[in-house]
Amino acid sequence: MKALLDIQNLDGPGVAALRRLILTLADSKRMMGIRYSDWLLGAPSIEAGIAISSMAQDEWGHARLLYAMLKDVDVEPLAIEHERPAEEYTSVGALDSAFEHWAGIVAAMTVVDEALSVALLGFSRGRYEAARTRVPKMLAEEEFHASLAKAWYRRIAGSSSEARGLLRDSTKELLPPVLAWLGADDAAAKVMVVEGVTDSSQSMTEVYRARLRDLTALVEVDINQAQPDGGWDEDRARGPGWPDEDAIERARGDRNRALLVE
Amino acid sequence: MIERVYDVFARKHRGDQLSHIGYVDALDDEMARVYAWKTYDEENWFEMCVIRRRNIIPVNRQDNPFSGSEGDDG
Repeated sequence: MKALLDIQNLDGPGVAALRRLILTLADSKRMMGIRYSDWLLGAPSIEAGIAISSMAQDEWGHARLLYAMLKDVDVEPLAIEHERPAEEYTSVGALDSAFEHWAGIVAAMTVVDEALSVALLGFSRGRYEAARTRVPKMLAEEEFHASLAKAWYRRIAGSSSEARGLLRDSTKELLPPVLAWLGADDAAAKVMVVEGVTDSSQSMTEVYRARLRDLTALVEVDINQAQPDGGWDEDRARGPGWPDEDAIERARGDRNRALLVE
Repeated sequence: MIERVYDVFARKHRGDQLSHIGYVDALDDEMARVYAWKTYDEENWFEMCVIRRRNIIPVNRQDNPFSGSEGDDG
């Protein structure tokens, strides 16, 4: 087993890289939960609505645990969670907008949530103690997300040509920002690999493509041919753009925050 | 797409009897697994399983909820 990371021994760029990694994982989890929550009403069945509601709760719980890790790198999570503008969010760009149809959220459940799990798997196997102890339970919960995603993906892929077309289009749209996010190989990402905090972007991308290859082939998308988006923003660990304002207001809890007595 | 009825059974502790706790409608076995886990998660179950209702074989009655015809597509 690798020796635990001593954050005190990280230099400035090392601490900044760990901060960036934690934040982009937490923000992506928060936004994944927001996108699931868009479908609490409107899912194809009561059971599907209950499942996606529960998955939204899972994601928010994961986000909360990840935000709490920011204390280790001298960042106060409360301000991060409740005061940032949309432009400062570091969530994967594939979650910036709501999904207009069930095929879209199924594609996100498959393409985006799986990428988050692969990234978390790498994080959980690294030297950062909080990730090693807290992330495995998240991954266990994510197994049910992946099961539901695959079941629905296969079901829609095998249904009408219209539904399959929606799934194909959504898959093709989501893959480039996800591949850019998971495959980031900039200076900060390399520092995290050198410090043993997470797996290399190359190995994570290979795992990710292998996990989804057969599924995306069902809608004639060759995941090996999919390419990452350009316009990488090193400061935010994501591509261009930011989540829509409505989602961020919900993520921050703006509407009723004044009622919160602390 | 046709949904099937799956009955959900669970036990809270190792050694407890498996109890019928409810049912879910699902398109296939995989969805039934997830729906059951997510719907009946009020307890910290030791074990949960689902079975498609049509696969339950009635022993002494043909008119009970587990007869295989109730709400199922057969």
